[in-house]
Amino acid sequence: MSTATTETVDAQAEAAVEEGEKREQTRLAALWSQHYDLVILPAIIVLLLVFLFLYVGTRQLDTIEQRVLAPANVGGLLWQQILLAGASTVLVLLIAVPLGIALSRRGARRVQGPVLAVGGFAQALPPFGVLLLMAFWLDFGFTTAVVGLTIAALLPVLRNTVVGLQQVDQSLIEAARGMGMTSRQTLFRVEIPLAVPVIVAGLRVALVLNVGTATLASYIGAGGLGELVQQALRLNRINVLLVAGGIIAALALLIDWLAGVVERIVVARSG
Amino acid sequence: MSETTDQPVVETPDGAGKPDMIVLEGVEKIYPGSTQPAVSQLDLSIPQGEIVMLIGPSGCGKTTTLKMINRLIEPTSGRILLDGKDVTHVNGDQLRREIGYVIQQGGLFPHFSIADNIGVVPKMLGWDKQRIRQRADELLHLVGLEPSTFRDRYPRQLSGGQQQRVGVARALAADPPVMLMDEPFGAIDPITRDRLQDEFLEIQRTVGKTIAFVTHDLQEAVKLGDKIAVFATGRLEQYDDPDTVLTRPANDFVSDFVGGGAAVRRLSLLELAHLELHPIETDEAGAGGAAGRNGTAVAEVDGSGKPVSWRHLPGGDATGVPLVTVPISGTVYDAVDVMLDSSASLVAVVDEEGRAQGVLHWNDLVGGLRTRERDA
Repeated sequence: MSTATTETVDAQAEAAVEEGEKREQTRLAALWSQHYDLVILPAIIVLLLVFLFLYVGTRQLDTIEQRVLAPANVGGLLWQQILLAGASTVLVLLIAVPLGIALSRRGARRVQGPVLAVGGFAQALPPFGVLLLMAFWLDFGFTTAVVGLTIAALLPVLRNTVVGLQQVDQSLIEAARGMGMTSRQTLFRVEIPLAVPVIVAGLRVALVLNVGTATLASYIGAGGLGELVQQALRLNRINVLLVAGGIIAALALLIDWLAGVVERIVVARSG
Repeated sequence: MSETTDQPVVETPDGAGKPDMIVLEGVEKIYPGSTQPAVSQLDLSIPQGEIVMLIGPSGCGKTTTLKMINRLIEPTSGRILLDGKDVTHVNGDQLRREIGYVIQQGGLFPHFSIADNIGVVPKMLGWDKQRIRQRADELLHLVGLEPSTFRDRYPRQLSGGQQQRVGVARALAADPPVMLMDEPFGAIDPITRDRLQDEFLEIQRTVGKTIAFVTHDLQEAVKLGDKIAVFATGRLEQYDDPDTVLTRPANDFVSDFVGGGAAVRRLSLLELAHLELHPIETDEAGAGGAAGRNGTAVAEVDGSGKPVSWRHLPGGDATGVPLVTVPISGTVYDAVDVMLDSSASLVAVVDEEGRAQGVLHWNDLVGGLRTRERDA
């Protein structure tokens, strides 16, 4: 922040530095008062995990439980879960956002309704059913799970992209065209930047949806934390089930929190 | 400023001697799915450096006409010439970069800083950053906003009036010879609007753009326009200077549109500087013996020559009549305002230094105002 040189240590520079520090402090204070609520959720997550570890730590774990709950096993499944949710959300982003933009162009307004209706239909399908059907149609495994998750989470992003672009003030588009922006420049410099907060909100919904649904991917052999649940049920180990549930919940909350932080940054940026 | 002095002068019908900057020839617009043309067979020429106000009831085609000039709306038929060049079929985006465009409330991009908003067109024209920045500062200064305070702000941090000023600055950014304004002051409170109009005229005095200006406010049209074009359902009903539109409406539609207030509105067109005023004499305060000058009003002045009270009024008693003044740069409208305000039946017209130049009587208003020969 302050770039005052230390070579000329006169009173003025010191005052400037002090003022800069004070301004920095007030800036941080303003930031804190605006966003203090963001601290609440991580605190809850940490508390949840601490309780979980304390509880499991007091239990006598047998060798099966020890093997299943080994950091390598849990960590690997956690990573698979993140990969499933991450890959499907990236796919959603790559498909739904361009599609939504294309649908909001003047020429495509007529097909916008039908496409959104089909999207709504896909949304209504239970993700678990989609995963199973996809598995029979394609194959069991990671790729199929990602495809299924992508289909199930397409709509929120598609709809928010269309709505986000629709709510851009028409007079701004007209101002842009009136100043000689091409329709392409208008799209990329005015319409999309102004729609980004709404699009990001849709992506957040999709991501959280995917993190939760990815638990079901284990049923078609795609791994993830659902595997941990299945192991616990198969082996009838209640402690493992507890840990699995706790981690799944914590992960979903954490991802939602992260997405929320990103959303706020984006909204703040786009004015 | 655009240099048009070297160009061949096309004589306009009214003989103003200025070349026409904007010419519409038989322009027509029929929207798809409609049989009634929104604008039909319109011929309109706007001389260089003039403000033409397009006015009429809603749906009369004034906005359509404006947007056809920069081809935001493509005309169905007819020709559009800018500065003698046929632009009916040139690239619309390129064309629009050379025409300033101001819309209601400025239409500023909320995610751009003020400087970036002003720099939109220069950036598209490929100016370097330094030049764009300088130009933004220059224009902010021109529209009365301190550059160091405003350039890095965002539109939402500005009042409506300030946003509109930035809107005007943005339209002027690449110094286009022509500006189109679509009800720019429409959504602004009356007091701010009045000030913005004054400032706008002030700016126009320095930049001398050719301006087409859509409004639905007759007061605004009379105040700002060099000419007024009155539209009715796609047709141009009258195209004249404000005085003529108010005093000699071309037909029933225009006279209905202008309405009953025309005579009063006209007062704001009469500049005091152009009127034949009654003479006034002045006496230093305390210097006695001013009787006998029966035909001339005598005012007592203070040390700096400013009139302070009436000493003698022709054919009446000077005591108890308040002395009020109006600057000679004002209009008869201002003079009437001052007289009504202070219940005085006459007003002293003063110059910039506050020295009396003449007297205007209430009776002059009904007895007929005599204008001096305009010094061309």
